[in-house]
Amino acid sequence: MTEKAKNDERHQQILNAFQAAIGVENVKDNPATVNAYFGDFLPPKMLGMTMPPEFVVLPNGTMETQAVIKICNRYKIPFIPVGSNQWSLTGSPNRPHTVIIDCKRMGAIHEIDEKNMYAVIEPLCTLAQVQAEAYKRGLYIGSPEASATASAIGGHVFQGMWGVGYRLGVAYRNILGLEWVLPNGEILRTGSFSQDADNGFWGEGPGPDLRGMLRGYAGAMGGVGMVTKMAVKLHPYPGPKVWPVEGVIPNQTSVLPEDRFKWHMVKYESLEDAVNFMYEVGKAEIAGVVQKWPTVYYIMWWSKSCEEYWTEWQKRTFQDNAKNAVGVCLWGFTSGKQLEYETRVLEDIIKETGGKPVKKEVYDMWVPHNANDWIRDTHGSRMMRASGTFLALRLQTDTLKYSIGQVKTGYKWVDKFSPPILDSDGPDWIGGYDFGHFGFGETDFPVEKNTEAIGDLMGKLMGMVKEDVTNGLENGVGPFLGGAYHQMAAPVFKYDKLLKGIKRAIDPNRVSNPPHQIDPDA
Amino acid sequence: MAKEMLLPKDPRYLKYPLEGPFDQEKARWIAFNCSRCSVCKWVNSWQVKSARYARICPQHTRYMFDSHSGQGKCDLALSIIDGKMKWGDDPEIKDILFRCTMCGGCDAMDKNIRDAELVKLYRWMRTEYIKDQGILPEQKPLVDSLKQYDNVWVQPRSKRNAWAKELKDLGIKDLNKEKAEVLLFVGCTYGLSQELKGTIINIAKILKANKVDFGILGDSELCCGSPPDKIGLPEEFERLATANIKRFNELGVKTVVTPCAGCYGTIRVEYDELPVKKNFEVLHVAEYIEKLIKDKKIKFKKEVPVTVTWHDPCHMGRMSRPYVPGKDILGAYEEPRNILKAIPGVELVEMERIKEYAWCCGGGGGAFTAFKDFAQWTARERLTEAKDTGASMIVTSCPWCESNLRAGGIGMEEKMEIKNLFDLMMEAL
Ligand SMILES: Cc1cc2nc3c(=O)[nH]c(=O)nc-3n(C[C@H](O)[C@H](O)[C@H](O)COP(=O)(O)OP(=O)(O)OC[C@H]3O[C@@H](n4cnc5c(N)ncnc54)[C@H](O)[C@@H]3O)c2cc1C
Repeated sequence: MTEKAKNDERHQQILNAFQAAIGVENVKDNPATVNAYFGDFLPPKMLGMTMPPEFVVLPNGTMETQAVIKICNRYKIPFIPVGSNQWSLTGSPNRPHTVIIDCKRMGAIHEIDEKNMYAVIEPLCTLAQVQAEAYKRGLYIGSPEASATASAIGGHVFQGMWGVGYRLGVAYRNILGLEWVLPNGEILRTGSFSQDADNGFWGEGPGPDLRGMLRGYAGAMGGVGMVTKMAVKLHPYPGPKVWPVEGVIPNQTSVLPEDRFKWHMVKYESLEDAVNFMYEVGKAEIAGVVQKWPTVYYIMWWSKSCEEYWTEWQKRTFQDNAKNAVGVCLWGFTSGKQLEYETRVLEDIIKETGGKPVKKEVYDMWVPHNANDWIRDTHGSRMMRASGTFLALRLQTDTLKYSIGQVKTGYKWVDKFSPPILDSDGPDWIGGYDFGHFGFGETDFPVEKNTEAIGDLMGKLMGMVKEDVTNGLENGVGPFLGGAYHQMAAPVFKYDKLLKGIKRAIDPNRVSNPPHQIDPDA
Repeated sequence: MAKEMLLPKDPRYLKYPLEGPFDQEKARWIAFNCSRCSVCKWVNSWQVKSARYARICPQHTRYMFDSHSGQGKCDLALSIIDGKMKWGDDPEIKDILFRCTMCGGCDAMDKNIRDAELVKLYRWMRTEYIKDQGILPEQKPLVDSLKQYDNVWVQPRSKRNAWAKELKDLGIKDLNKEKAEVLLFVGCTYGLSQELKGTIINIAKILKANKVDFGILGDSELCCGSPPDKIGLPEEFERLATANIKRFNELGVKTVVTPCAGCYGTIRVEYDELPVKKNFEVLHVAEYIEKLIKDKKIKFKKEVPVTVTWHDPCHMGRMSRPYVPGKDILGAYEEPRNILKAIPGVELVEMERIKEYAWCCGGGGGAFTAFKDFAQWTARERLTEAKDTGASMIVTSCPWCESNLRAGGIGMEEKMEIKNLFDLMMEAL
């Protein structure tokens, strides 16, 4: 038998097995289908680093997912669980014979427990769907910059950084009960799901907290099996039952009730002063969102067309008026009186820290069109409008103070590599989390989407990351978030043995999205 | 000293590159710049009001694999253009391309985050597919009918005017013989369907009663060209559209009004892509009549106590205006609603997905003829959404929507009355 014939026979056997397990119509291996599952967003597809999967399968529920994963083990073929698959860097096959486990048949919201403030969801549910249902009940959930079309489970098991994280912390800390098919096909239920599959209110344990295998910065990237059901925390929300929208796409605005929500845009002389202000706001335990956006963000989100982006860039409205500005959204959680109180506290802080309000016309541009979007969606893909794509470096979670140094060293790299990095005005995004207990910094910039520019830049950024790692610094993981992130970071932070041990124990056949979360044999 | 600006080298990022005739380069541009963000699959999250009605794309909702979404079509186009796949490589390509209802839901959502026109890409893909693989057997009768009879319903030309003959006493002008300010462009479906001819009769009566100087082309009216345009036959579209523009210009009419959303969107937007220029404005009958109501020319006499919901036909809504990057995705959204609100006794309640983010009825893009099962599944989704408003009637003004919603409603447990806007209006006059 030729190699090809053997492969064909094996392919047919696997196909038959999948079809028998989950139904003929839910398994596909034809070129037109698999062609839609290997990128694109950032460079891998353009640079030929990804390839189409061999199969795309659509299991329904935990048992069918288990059956699929068992078949992958039987044939020792890799699988990748995907949510909305926006983060195609880790959701696209990087080796032959990969199976994509697409969650399109798992879109139910099993329950919203209003009293105990949690929702039990399946992997397809988007954050926008969960939000819509939560709002009706006076509750809310966040959304990453990526957008609320991201799967809510995907958002919780991946990066988990969102606008309302100032109040709610990182998304992965909002995970409660979990139902999850491990890479070896075993079903694991954690938290209260371990006692009662219908009750998701509690996340911890029992025993050591196994959620840790899945959580952590950038999560396991599909390397530890597939979550099929998750209970996520919801939080009290003083806003309307339906998100308020005026106007028509793409010029919509959104104004939340003024007696409960009030944005303040406060400008400082320096980034240090801006971050100091963020600390003070956190210490006072006020506000729902605290963000220091880079000027490039203002333009990315404000512009409704490419032409407007570059024209706006040249007008310098945001560069001249919003540099080092911090956006603070005060929420009157309990009453209008709370908002009044928080406003007085904020005004004192502004006075003490020497802040100035941004010009009214800039405030009026940004707030109704974009600021509230950090509560609802953010529409992150607008970052790609102006030049086809963007890249990021120096993504780090640290103290707010340390974020300053990080983004500033980020500028240097940006300067050094411009071009191909396009104009970006010192991109310094710093988000406050957990009332200022920590910050998340990121240096984002537009790059023209063409193989030459991207290839060149990727090489340089990888070089930079390696240099940093050699110097004992874990940062600049932006370009690495698609690659073997933990492979790189784990030895620096000395958690490699632990991760490798976990991977060996639960993924004996190395089938769950290798090389993630770590390659135990490397 | 100010630093030199670092702008993209490719001028297409600086100025919208998709104006003018559409070609492979433009198709590639759209496909290449898809970032797999998935906005083409969902209603813009600001407008998601429940988990149940959060989807925008009927095809993707029904067939689930990403290949059946806007993103998947971009991936397919890119692979084909870059020579990695061929149209004949996979029989499913036909389904991916032609089950799409060309409703523009993905297109409108996409315009929220980038400058592109997905529906133009799909049309180009269909054309290229047909060049390579031939016309779909399911659509062959429609295409033959267009060529033979200039209508999509395999009916002799003489039948097109049958409804008007019933109204002899009304004295509707025949624009082949006399002049008028307004051409009532009836469209193939209202003109030829026994089931729907009551609507065009009502419209003619309303216009006449309000002394509108209008006329029709009778059996010399041609198809507007929408079906061949949507299913990927640009030459057939050009033939019909060019003939129509020339004819309408010759007639010297100021306004072309049509009750068919498909004709409306096509004459209003797609005709502008042809070298021959229009010397007339294009209105949907709803826009014309709303103005008469606003000007207090129409007086309602009776109450019609009913709770209704309005279904926005895609080609009367988001697909009915030329795209200008950064500008609102407008359409005739308010006019029909204003008419409904003006009818005494009518209470209008809204579905969750409306206007530029409306859910399609399922009847567009050739699906009504070629993929009935899917078209009707899509209609049932819409009817369920309508039912959830508490309304007992869904009102619209597009013959494809009406017919497809009716077909979809057959066998549904909870019935919902489906009515044309002008039929409802007539009840109050
Ligand atoms: C423009 C842009 C901006 C972004 N900004 C942010 C940001 O500000 N904050 C932030 O947190 N993220 C951000 N991201 C990253 C990412 O897109 C989001 O975190 C998003 O929530 C991921 O959701 P998804 O459904 O698209 O996940 P996917 O892309 O489908 O998956 C992401 C990873 O999680 C794994 N995974 C998905 N579902 C499951 C499951 N059910 N079980 C096990 N593993 C699973 C996948 O294998 C993959 O490795 C951004 C992305 C883009 C493109």
